[in-house]
Amino acid sequence: MAGLVVSACASDAGEIVITDARLGRPTGPNAALYLTAANDGPSDRLLGVETDLAAAVEIHETVTETDGTMAMRALTSLELAEGDTLVLEPGGLHLMLVDVARLEVGDTVAVTLVWEKAGPLPIQADVVDPSDTLGDDG
Amino acid sequence: MRLVVVFALGACGGNVASGELQGAVVDAPGPKPSFTLTDTAGEPYRFAAETEDKLTLLYFGYLNCPDICPVHLAQIAEVFDRLPDVARDAAVVFVSVDPGRDSPEEIRRFLDNFDSRFVGLTGTPSELDEAQKAAGVTPAVVGGEGDDYTVDHAGWVIAYSPDGEYRVNYPFGTRQSEWANDLQILATMDGS
Repeated sequence: MAGLVVSACASDAGEIVITDARLGRPTGPNAALYLTAANDGPSDRLLGVETDLAAAVEIHETVTETDGTMAMRALTSLELAEGDTLVLEPGGLHLMLVDVARLEVGDTVAVTLVWEKAGPLPIQADVVDPSDTLGDDG
Repeated sequence: MRLVVVFALGACGGNVASGELQGAVVDAPGPKPSFTLTDTAGEPYRFAAETEDKLTLLYFGYLNCPDICPVHLAQIAEVFDRLPDVARDAAVVFVSVDPGRDSPEEIRRFLDNFDSRFVGLTGTPSELDEAQKAAGVTPAVVGGEGDDYTVDHAGWVIAYSPDGEYRVNYPFGTRQSEWANDLQILATMDGS
């Protein structure tokens, strides 16, 4: 079934608003967290993510090379310019939870996004089937 | 003036085939490769022979992959649930290209998250390289260092029709409506 992910409420730290926070149900050691971050405030930078559910969280970008090879690369931070929106989605940017806890579809997880200027921003993310991380019609 | 005919799919990706393949149809169809790897029971798996006469989807990935691999497999599993008649005569073969970390038991557990019918394969690094070349994809390579490495691998799913021909590639992001459409078409390409 195609899933529509709607956050019940948006998390707001100063002027960074997080929506569509969703974690693909872990099927292996790691899982990907996706979200949209809109910034009405000054330029900021996502430095990392804290959670009790994983051994570590890494900021990743998946890139597609010219021969169709897909490669995941670690980034040290993510820029979010004033008035801009960061979209973390499958095949692009994600936050990888390393050695993540066992979770099921329907669970809600708490993570804290750490911003350089806005500071810690606690958010909730819904655990969804990996096919529902794509949004729209799946 | 050219007449443009638009096929409308159901809003929820209904099970109506449009008559045209939505994936990336390959320019030069060729026969299914005949590599042999090891399945999750530890038995040799002769790819071409084991999947003979079946609509076959082949994908190279790894278990630590959080972004691309689970989404592809979950999409196919969802569509299989909707198309049981197609799924019954189809084979989904997942080849782990991370033999350093993915044991046969772990590959089985991983695939059971999606569909217990999915076949999981592994092999030695050289066997895996040969299998990927035979399937026409660039062999996967390890990126980064230490235990927390990533694996750069082909991002698409390869589809063979039941008559054994290599037909279509499905890039990452292929939607369930596209899968449903194409699997129904491919299933009829049985050489009869």
